[in-house]
Amino acid sequence: MADNWSFVIAAYAIAAIALGGYWRRLARLERDVERRDARPRRPR
Amino acid sequence: MTRVLGWLAAAGLVIGLVMAFIVAPRELTQGHVQRIMYVHVPTAWVAYLAFGVVFVASVVYLARRSETADRLAHASAEVGVVFTGVTIASGSIWGKPTWGTWWTWDARLTSVAILFVMYLGYLLLRGMIDERERGARYAAVLGIIAALDIPLVHFSVYWWRTLHQPPSLMKPGGASTMPAPIMAALLINLVAFTLLYAYFVARRTRLLARQQQALA
Repeated sequence: MADNWSFVIAAYAIAAIALGGYWRRLARLERDVERRDARPRRPR
Repeated sequence: MTRVLGWLAAAGLVIGLVMAFIVAPRELTQGHVQRIMYVHVPTAWVAYLAFGVVFVASVVYLARRSETADRLAHASAEVGVVFTGVTIASGSIWGKPTWGTWWTWDARLTSVAILFVMYLGYLLLRGMIDERERGARYAAVLGIIAALDIPLVHFSVYWWRTLHQPPSLMKPGGASTMPAPIMAALLINLVAFTLLYAYFVARRTRLLARQQQALA
């Protein structure tokens, strides 16, 4: 059977994009929470 | 602790890549395309683990109304959906050169697709209900029902005639016949992806707690 390296690279690339994307999403959500925590609260 | 988990996962993934591309030999029948196994099988294992954790945490939530258990179920479901997506995508890419098709509606592939859709529904349900306690309760029930699909996915290759090969690991009543270097590469990647799952869940759980504090 032919070695089909392009399929191997595609599979690993998709895994890297999905898992890296989730890691970035967590980082963005953390930044949002930190920004909200740092904002001074308005007196009621 | 979370940071340590992250570094361990990163080191594990680097070692896993070295094992998959340098140490593990070219497989005789399939050629180099078999190297997709080192990402496909570990992500499938993590998907089982993640949804198993959702099941246990959901039972604990319903029994004790523990918010920690609810957050763990939520985080694990989210991470599980990501890993299931990678499993389906890598399996599809592996299927084209080996089976001649990207997708077929056989028992294994269909049951995994159902698993993926059920946990997407679980996340949608959580997002749709504004009242936190009610959302958590409904999600816990769905988390328990959806987990019934996990044994169906795993044993589908035995119960029905399918294009998918039998499991590489966790075979009922039998040891694996895999050559040692291939087995070693697979086990290292299993550990690395499990560490990555633990890291993501730890980070997501902490984040959920902070988000809930901010809203309270």
